[in-house]
Amino acid sequence: MRKRVYYELIAFSAGVFFFVVYTIPFLRSLIVSFMTWEQASRIPPEWLPNPFILENYLRLFRIELFPRWVLNTLLYGGLVSISNVLLGLMAGYSFALLKYPGRDLLFNALLALIMLPMFVTMVPLYVILTQLNLLDNIIALPILGLVNVNTVFMARQYFLSLPREFFEAAKLDGASHLRTFVEIALPLAKPLIITITVYQFLGAWNSFFLPVIVLKSPENFVYAQGLNYAFSRVWYVEYTPIIAGTLVGSIPTLLFFIVFRKFLIGGIVIRTYRR
Amino acid sequence: MPHLNKKRFFSSKKYRREFLEGMFLISIAVLVNFVFGYFAFAYAFYLSFFRWDYITEPLFSGLDNYLKAIDELVKGFFGAKWYEVPFFMGLRNILLYTIIVVPIQTILAMALAAIASSRIRGSSVFTTSYLLPGFTCSVIIALIFIYFFSQRGFINYILNSIYPDFGYPDWLYSKILIIPAMAIVAIWGTSSNFAILFIAAMQAIPRDVLEQARLDGAGPVRRFIHIILPLIKPTIIYAVIVGTVGALQMFDLSFVMAGPQGGVEYSGMTVVLDIYRTAFAQLDPGYASAKAIVFFALMYIPTVLFLKKYGGGFR
Repeated sequence: MRKRVYYELIAFSAGVFFFVVYTIPFLRSLIVSFMTWEQASRIPPEWLPNPFILENYLRLFRIELFPRWVLNTLLYGGLVSISNVLLGLMAGYSFALLKYPGRDLLFNALLALIMLPMFVTMVPLYVILTQLNLLDNIIALPILGLVNVNTVFMARQYFLSLPREFFEAAKLDGASHLRTFVEIALPLAKPLIITITVYQFLGAWNSFFLPVIVLKSPENFVYAQGLNYAFSRVWYVEYTPIIAGTLVGSIPTLLFFIVFRKFLIGGIVIRTYRR
Repeated sequence: MPHLNKKRFFSSKKYRREFLEGMFLISIAVLVNFVFGYFAFAYAFYLSFFRWDYITEPLFSGLDNYLKAIDELVKGFFGAKWYEVPFFMGLRNILLYTIIVVPIQTILAMALAAIASSRIRGSSVFTTSYLLPGFTCSVIIALIFIYFFSQRGFINYILNSIYPDFGYPDWLYSKILIIPAMAIVAIWGTSSNFAILFIAAMQAIPRDVLEQARLDGAGPVRRFIHIILPLIKPTIIYAVIVGTVGALQMFDLSFVMAGPQGGVEYSGMTVVLDIYRTAFAQLDPGYASAKAIVFFALMYIPTVLFLKKYGGGFR
């Protein structure tokens, strides 16, 4: 019994230690975002903003392009979520519940693309976008991400996990698969739709590699890209406004995490256990 | 579909209709991904045999680009100057980075998962705090940590209070410390993603197995080594492979923390950053594609061999 208490104490201390490690960067940033740069760069670090200022946030909102970056990212996230939900659900339903020659072959060919890294295809994608006259256009990003292989895979797994009877009845009534999809599958897919939306939206909010390749002029940047641009241009000497910017940039993540935690975690687990 | 004869399939109206409807539903998903995936891959392979500048007619150059890439690696290995061999510098840095990141992040993820799935007090609060960094944008995390890694930053302060002789280096401008700095940021950010996998794997372990072991007198350490570890082995293999493949492709941390030029004497260069620079700063898409394909091969051949050897229970 004594031994057990001892072990629990170790586990609890480890828990507290990692809790500190994983929250301190956010906490410290939050405190620093209300400090002057002069105070923020003192050693040893100070923990109470004195004077307490909002100037860092004001400077951030004063960047002309700041609202553009937010809007660009929202547009990208919105479009990519809609297209992934719609097209991903269609494909996932077809792969899961219809039977036709070539189905498994095509599905496996799609799944194999997960192994293909973006750095191999980035030059061709750039050339394709140039041909389509979409370079330096935010619309290029949702077009490249129109329907993700991961989305199709998640949708297929979801429809496979539903009881067959839901769909059999409609089939006996002679409904076409398209009708079954719209009238039966879609209403059943609410958790799936939330998961896909949350993932695509956060993916857009967190994206960096593709935007860096595709977008050239600062007014077309997405949020993370813009923040990095502002950091490397404007305030190399004063870092506190950038800290404020990182916190503003974490707000959507935090909100999504609080509201949709279950879906986010479920999504990662589905992705792991392929097939 | 072994039970269906192809000829009969297409002659039956019902099945033909199912075929058409099925194909209609998957058509856009398949088309888009095949164009941006397989076609783009084939196109990159094609471009790797050409000299091109995006504008004029591509010039067939045979294996020149590949020979140049291999030459860079060999020269770099035998001590050429850093500015002559960015590809080698990138490969060297990314291997070091991967060797630091993958083991620590995997072990850390298991530790976090063990704490999260234990029934100690506060474990749900702990879990929330562990998981949040994994969903936060890596660029945002990198920007936060740039401040911590600065000369008068938090990390130097902590290290100096543990070990007073550490001094106050500027991590991001140090040729030695920039890769460890990126590794620390990556570990902090992604260990939580892998922790989720381990939490799921640990929850799938039947309770009565662990209960029986407890009754047999096995302590937590022995239960972990003899029961939990073998049962989550497939997840460990998955985490190591996905972690390695992901770490080798690192781009954003380097772009933000070392800068798009690859840092002091390319000390923060990575392979993907070098390919990006070759393609879009030096406007040499042929050479960039050749380097991408060489790196792709270097990355996947060991992975496939590893999977063949250890991946019995995987998938």
